[in-house]
Amino acid sequence: MTLRTSHVPRALFAAALGIAVLVGFAGHTFAQGAAGPIALGTPTPMADFKMTTTAGKEVTLAGLKGKKGTLVVFTCNTCPYAKGWEERIVAIGNKAADRGVGMIAINSNDPDRVPGDAMSAMQDRAKQRGIKFAYAADPAGDVARAFGASHTPEAFLFDGEGKLVYHGSIDDNVDDPRAVKQTYLANAVADLSSGKAQRMAETKAIGCGIKFRQKAAS
Amino acid sequence: MIPPGRPPEAPRAPRARDAHRARRALVFAVATLCAVIVVACGENHGAREGTAPLSAGMSGPIDSSRVVMLPVAPDSIASLVRAVGGKATLVSVWASWCEPCRMEFPGVVRLAHAYKDRGLRVIFISADLTDDLPAARKFLAEEGVEWTTYYKRGDDTAFMNALEPRWTGAIPGSFLYDQDGKLRDFWEGAMNYEGFEQRVLPVLSPSPRGSQ
Repeated sequence: MTLRTSHVPRALFAAALGIAVLVGFAGHTFAQGAAGPIALGTPTPMADFKMTTTAGKEVTLAGLKGKKGTLVVFTCNTCPYAKGWEERIVAIGNKAADRGVGMIAINSNDPDRVPGDAMSAMQDRAKQRGIKFAYAADPAGDVARAFGASHTPEAFLFDGEGKLVYHGSIDDNVDDPRAVKQTYLANAVADLSSGKAQRMAETKAIGCGIKFRQKAAS
Repeated sequence: MIPPGRPPEAPRAPRARDAHRARRALVFAVATLCAVIVVACGENHGAREGTAPLSAGMSGPIDSSRVVMLPVAPDSIASLVRAVGGKATLVSVWASWCEPCRMEFPGVVRLAHAYKDRGLRVIFISADLTDDLPAARKFLAEEGVEWTTYYKRGDDTAFMNALEPRWTGAIPGSFLYDQDGKLRDFWEGAMNYEGFEQRVLPVLSPSPRGSQ
C-alpha cells in the first residue's frame, strides 16, 4: 500500500483512495503532531536516541552537538516544499560545522507509506545533493513526535546547552530563492554562532504533513 | 428565477398569442445560439472572471481553462473571509501534491454543494508552488470546482497567522468562520464528509442544545 506525495496519476490516486476507504478513512485525521511543537527553551528531546544515517552510521543528537549548538531539520525526499528549500537547507547544513553547530536532517516519513523516503532513496539524494551532514531516518516517527514536528521542512535550533532557541521555517519564499527577503534559518544559525540574541525565534511555514507510521493502539 | 406564487398569465387574443409564440421561438433560437457560442468560447479561451454557479459535478471533457485561481496575499485573508457573506465560511488550504488533501477534496466539494443554500461558502486556497499550479488547475477541473479559488502568495508566517496562529502549517488545513468572520473551528489533516458536516452544522444553524 503506497501513498505517494508527488504528482500522482489519477488512476493511481483512485486506487489509493479505494485502499484508504477500505482501511477505514472514516472520521479521523492524519495529522499527528497535534500537541504542537516544543516550546522555546525546551531541552533537546530524545538526545540519546539512535538513528541510522545515509552513511550507515548510528548517531544521536547528543553525539552530533557542536560547541555552539545543534540544528535539526525534519525534511524528506518527496515533499515539494522540502525539495523547493533543499538546496538552501544543504547550503546552511554544510556550513553549520564551521559555525560550531552540529547538523542533522531527519526523515520521519514512514517508508512503507512513502517509498520515495526509504533509506536507499535517501542515500541517493544525499549523494546527488552533496550532503555533508547526517541525514538520518526516523521511520517510526518517534523523534518527530517527541519534537512535536508536524511537517517538512521544519527546523529546530538548539544552543550549546541543548535548549531550543529557534523553531520554524527556512526563509520567507520557498517558491523563488531570488525573492527571499528574510533568511530566517541562516540568521538564526548566525545569531547563535555569534552569541547574539535571536532576531526572530519563531517563524512558520506550510509544508507537507509528516507521513507518520500509524500506531496500532491510537 | 421564477418567484413562487407567480400569477398565471392572462388569456390572450389569438393574434396576440401567435405573436407571443413567434417571440418565444425567436428568444429560444437566440438563447440556443448564445449557449453554443458560450460553450465554444469556454472551451477555447481563458478563464472566466468572477464566480460561476455551482453545478452538481462535471460531465464531458475536463477543461481546466474554466478554473479560476487568483493569488491571495496574507493581508487579504481577513477581507476575503469577511467579504464572502453567508452564515459560515470554510477555508480549505490544500495542494495538488498533498495526498490527504486530494482524499478529502471530493467531500469538501460535496459539502459546498449540499450546504450552499444554507449559507455555507467554501474557499479553497492552494499552497502549490508556481511549478505545480497547472496540476492544481487540472485537479480543480477534475473535481468540478467552478467557483473562484485562490493560491497562496507571500510570506508563510504572515499567511498562517492571518488564518490562525495555532496552525502548524501541515495541510490540509481547514478553518471555519462564522458570519462575523470569527474563527469557530480549525483542524489539520484529512476529514471525511461526515466529519466536515458535524463541524459545519453547528455554525450554520446554532442549536440551543449546543454544538458537537
